[in-house]
Amino acid sequence: MSSGLPLSDDDLHAFADNQLSPERTVEVAAALAREPALAGRVAEIKRQNALLRDALDPWLAEPLPAKLLRASADPPHGRLWRRLRPALAVAATLVIGVALGWLGREQMLRLEGTPITFSRQAALTHALYAADQNRPVEVWAADEQRLVTWLSKRLNFPLRAPDLNSIGFSLVGGRLVAGNEKPGALFMYENADKQRISLLVRKDDVASHETAFRYAKEDGVSVFYWIDDSCGYAISGRIDKTQLLAVARVVYGQLAAFEAAPSPRP
Amino acid sequence: MPDTLPNPDLIAALPRLRRYARVLTGDMHRADDLVQDTLARAWEKRRLWQAGSDLRAWLFTIMHNVHVNQFSLRQREYAQASLDADDGPAAGWEIPVRPTQSDRVELSEVVGQIGRLPLAQREVLILAAVEELRYEEIGDVLGVPIGTVMSRLSRAREKLRRMNADTASPLKVVK
Repeated sequence: MSSGLPLSDDDLHAFADNQLSPERTVEVAAALAREPALAGRVAEIKRQNALLRDALDPWLAEPLPAKLLRASADPPHGRLWRRLRPALAVAATLVIGVALGWLGREQMLRLEGTPITFSRQAALTHALYAADQNRPVEVWAADEQRLVTWLSKRLNFPLRAPDLNSIGFSLVGGRLVAGNEKPGALFMYENADKQRISLLVRKDDVASHETAFRYAKEDGVSVFYWIDDSCGYAISGRIDKTQLLAVARVVYGQLAAFEAAPSPRP
Repeated sequence: MPDTLPNPDLIAALPRLRRYARVLTGDMHRADDLVQDTLARAWEKRRLWQAGSDLRAWLFTIMHNVHVNQFSLRQREYAQASLDADDGPAAGWEIPVRPTQSDRVELSEVVGQIGRLPLAQREVLILAAVEELRYEEIGDVLGVPIGTVMSRLSRAREKLRRMNADTASPLKVVK
């Protein structure tokens, strides 16, 4: 159409970029056919476009970084969160509950002297040293005062070896044993039948409420243990549970009396 | 209003967002940071996206704004755009000119030439010639009237043509 609007610079760009309406495209094409100079400009623009695409299109094929793929997904506080918020709230409550429970467990273990491991420690320690005929202890009963002084110093609190002669057990001696966080003291006793029992004493950092006697049997070794203040005590032996409980009561009674009058043993 | 963005479309747009970010920043690493910021902003503003409209153009708009806001340096480049004077490479243009698989040296040359265009012209040129956005869309992306789009496009093309005429081998000179 020769009666079309005169060609503008914008027409040339729009024609080259295929952005003209079909009608205008026809008009411009006709005009370009008559104007080789303008046609040359359009060709130059098209050539540039092709060159730019050829240069930049290879970028599109590059692998995408993981961080961008992640950023394309719903952000943490996006749709998923809103949809799952009630469920997540329940789950969070549960997690908090479990976490508190777990922390509480830690606290309980601490307060109660880590009952499971304490009893097991007591049983294993007893089994190890009671079976040793030649050297069940480091310091023999003959040096009881030195033994008690030494262990008290190592455990950093006043100890005493209960006197169990009234129930047929005499002190063999004692030793320092490894504990969870702090060392423990082991006193070993033996009766006329060469049955041995041991008292394990361990002090923890955190004071606790008194607990009742607890009983455990580990690898054939019976253990009665309890916590008094921050101190854990365990009586272990391969003897009858009733008999061991009787021993435990005597020990408990003597220690209670000792604490009531914590003066060094005469 | 949509409460989400179509993730497949978003990922499909990533390569182009990345490419545009490189053209804007002139730096491969800064480009990816810009894409990341753009995506984060897009998710924040997801309710402003009209479902069914061109997600890519919307993302280009966000990227343009994030970039303008982030780099005040670019504002000065914008101010210089109309001067159309200096032909030196733009400050900070560090897109490596890698030897391409093909032996078309002009392909690697053109990347450097893009960097020598003022940012405002560079944006329009890439959106029109490479992304093939409609001029109206480019105006929306950049927040400028269509007349500004056309004048920037015209100047960008003329500059590029002159650069090529200067550096091209005699065989390519068309009289």
